[in-house]
Amino acid sequence: GKNEYDLLVIGGGSGGLACAKEAAQFGRKVAVLDYVDPSPQGTKWGLGGTCVNVGCIPKKLMHQAALLGNALKDAQHYGWNISQPVHHTWSVMAQAVQNYVKSLNWGHRVQLQDKKVKYFHMKGSFSDPHTIRGLTKAGKETIVTAENIVIATGGRPKYPTHIAGALEYGITSDDLFWLKESPGKTLPVYCPFILHLSGLIVCISLTDTSPDVSLECAGFLTGIGLDTTVMMRSIPLRGFDQQMASLVTEHMESYGTKFLKRCFPTKVEKLESNRLQVTWKNTDLGTEEGDSFDTVMWAVGRAPDTETLNLETVGVKTNSETGKIIVDASEATSVPHIYAVGDITEGRPELTPTAIAAGKLLARRLFGQSSELMDYDNVPTTVFTPLEYGCVGLSEEAAVQRYGSDNIEVYHAYYKPLEFTVAERDATQCYMKMVCLREREQRILGLHFIGPNAGEVIQGFALGIKCGATYRQLMKTVGIHPTCAEEITKLHITKRSGLDATVTGC
Amino acid sequence: GSGGLAGARRAAELGARVALVEPRRFGGTCVSPWSWGADGAPTGGGRETRTGTFIHDHADYGFQTPSVKFNWRTIKEKRDAYVRRLNEIYENNLKKAHIDIIRGYGKFTADPQPTIEVDGKKYTAPHILIATGGRPAIPPDSEIPGASLGITSDGFFDLEELPRRSVIVGAGYIAVEIAGILSTLGSKSALLIRQDAVVLRTFDSLISSNCTQELENIGVDVWKHTKVKTVTKTPCGLLDVTVTSSVPGHKPTEGVIRDVDCLLWAVGREPNTEDLCLDLVGVQVDDKGHVVVDEYQNSTRRGIYAVGDVCGRALLTPVAIAAGRKLAHRLFEGKQDSRLDYHNIPTVVFSHPPIGTVGLTEDEAVAMHGKENVKIYNTSFTPLYYAVTQRKVKCVMKLVCAGKEEKVVGLHMQGVGCDEMLQGFAVAIKMGATKADLDNTVAIHPTSAEELVTLR
Repeated sequence: GKNEYDLLVIGGGSGGLACAKEAAQFGRKVAVLDYVDPSPQGTKWGLGGTCVNVGCIPKKLMHQAALLGNALKDAQHYGWNISQPVHHTWSVMAQAVQNYVKSLNWGHRVQLQDKKVKYFHMKGSFSDPHTIRGLTKAGKETIVTAENIVIATGGRPKYPTHIAGALEYGITSDDLFWLKESPGKTLPVYCPFILHLSGLIVCISLTDTSPDVSLECAGFLTGIGLDTTVMMRSIPLRGFDQQMASLVTEHMESYGTKFLKRCFPTKVEKLESNRLQVTWKNTDLGTEEGDSFDTVMWAVGRAPDTETLNLETVGVKTNSETGKIIVDASEATSVPHIYAVGDITEGRPELTPTAIAAGKLLARRLFGQSSELMDYDNVPTTVFTPLEYGCVGLSEEAAVQRYGSDNIEVYHAYYKPLEFTVAERDATQCYMKMVCLREREQRILGLHFIGPNAGEVIQGFALGIKCGATYRQLMKTVGIHPTCAEEITKLHITKRSGLDATVTGC
Repeated sequence: GSGGLAGARRAAELGARVALVEPRRFGGTCVSPWSWGADGAPTGGGRETRTGTFIHDHADYGFQTPSVKFNWRTIKEKRDAYVRRLNEIYENNLKKAHIDIIRGYGKFTADPQPTIEVDGKKYTAPHILIATGGRPAIPPDSEIPGASLGITSDGFFDLEELPRRSVIVGAGYIAVEIAGILSTLGSKSALLIRQDAVVLRTFDSLISSNCTQELENIGVDVWKHTKVKTVTKTPCGLLDVTVTSSVPGHKPTEGVIRDVDCLLWAVGREPNTEDLCLDLVGVQVDDKGHVVVDEYQNSTRRGIYAVGDVCGRALLTPVAIAAGRKLAHRLFEGKQDSRLDYHNIPTVVFSHPPIGTVGLTEDEAVAMHGKENVKIYNTSFTPLYYAVTQRKVKCVMKLVCAGKEEKVVGLHMQGVGCDEMLQGFAVAIKMGATKADLDNTVAIHPTSAEELVTLR
């Protein structure tokens, strides 16, 4: 018989919703299935996916809270009389953030309704290439058929299950943003009169595949006054430019985040006080160490959410190592009429805007007579650590690898944001560099910027680089004064020259 | 200042023998605490008030802040110290470059070859650069009795205390910025716009109307179609400012703003050219006194050039610096075509929230290309920052595109972060970016900037 829907999307996150809504614009019959399995700690949330509920949005808001904490310290220098230290109340922030996220959940529900997209609050799995079996929480079953199916179920944080106590006692980013009480506070059981107000938290990153999550979380936790430690086995921000990565972590260290480098945990145990005892191996010294914390948070990577989809039944191929769905340049899987977008797909960046763009373009190709494919080159991104890092294009290492160090020119500068001066803030890690081809026009291959508002700074330059900007063209642009962004248009010291790259003034 | 120092240093780097005449501290308008940044940057002032506005949000983000008070003296001392450090750095830079420093006021003589006289001593050179900048204008007492009882932006940083009651006269970006600072720091402020109902008349209409609204939102009392009639000093030493409001279609009304601590004139700037004796060397000035120059910064006398605010075009530090450097390359490196392109110069106004703008306004684009060839993209939203705060300040953005390929000819925005956002877009617009290029650029999430690459 005829399929019920033109398009069925499994997964109501950034990619899935964008695809569904775009398809509906073409007058198609579209449905979305969304369902959130509770985390091992029991956390769950509404429609909108990772970004809205346990990713970008709550993260940026809590990062903002931490920045405000710093601003309060700066304010003194600017003449504001505020008695220090100022205290932060987690529950006030958390409630405000959680309420906002809930309003977004609601907004998404309304949007789907407005665009006449059918919404099923169900967990979907394949029965055959055009049939999905949806299950509600109560176990009620619904069969849905569709001409085209898009898998956009995203991913969930991994647990290092081989470490004793990891699953039982640790949380992940899924849980952090929904905590009602501060992670620095251990719930008192035996000692009801003891309250740890500035408690100890550990963020652990083992394999560095989502190291930005652990750094971002550690960053804002430190910023709101919690004693925070990051344990990492090898390098921070793997895949990012390593010089920039170390500047970012250096800054965090100088601001109070503790780092246990080249260490990995071996077990987590619960103490009588209800705190957690973590034991780890220090690979540098070859010793075993331990300490107790209120909260242990794992940020060891994300796993694609494919387990219960029944992909084998319909023959959708996945990458044997990562488990992610293999797609071609048009987001098609190995099965006709089945596509995938977003974090679930192999080889794509795990970012909201690329999922949204890919989802929209897919809908336009399916229903709008478009042939435009998603361009994954020069995707800009920003890591929202206390001192933000924005970048677009190639890292210096990648450029060297691709073109050879003789064929690239790296312009760089250490600068001081004007607002740091009066506040007497250390600007040692405020740094930027531009990686260009060395030949005549000097096309820009990559741009890296550490400083306040990095996200806002980089967006426009990403556009320029998309248009093929060269060093020459950048230099022709008049700077805006005084801003941090203008320093990019003033870059002129090369790494090759060996000269001091500190900005001296007009 | 910005133009003179940049030009001198670049010339010296290229091997020229350079002398610099300066009577006061090094750095000029941009840097000096005794005058105003013509580019609209109150050195540090913008940031202290930004901190002030954000303090109101701290409670919403979970911080327990008891009542907060502002101390003007603290910031004044720090700011003055920082500026003094900058003055020293500039002086050192000149010495390191082996540039001769001549202290005093220079003026041209009647000698056959262009010659500068400073305190009785004469100096000559095949190339002379005028970069004397400008100063704030103040109406004469003959025009407005008591006008001299007010101060200008020059006097602003001399203030020892925050004024309790301020009246700012003007509708340009200097007036807007100062009004914003004073109001946010706790001074009861009024802004008087003489001709119009909006500030920033020469900016895109979206910006003029939005900025005027935002001034009112932060508590500035905006008086439209209002000019100052007289200013008198009361027995207790404060000022009474008598004003006339002429709303179109209504009879003019008169009013008095009483007990004003600070009356600040921000009604324009004048070039510092009257004492240069330019007529002796045939250097032409316009009716306002600006040195007339061509695209290459040549004045009407061979061998004499001018850059920066004294020329009256694009009164911005980076423009003066760029023009000064381009000139040095033209004169001392033989780069005959070296000059600054004055199109698509980006600029920011440090209002609350800040404004970023580059290129043509909508009206200018329509006049140049015809209405049918201009497409406008607009957006207005509340930035994520305000998701959890009581106070909400929206961000507005407008993209002006021309022609079939929808080339971006103008970008205008006001909102938190717009100051840092603009620079990269300015690069792309200078390169000729089209709407399609913006659409093809992946967004960075979550930011405000991403709204520009996802406009519908």
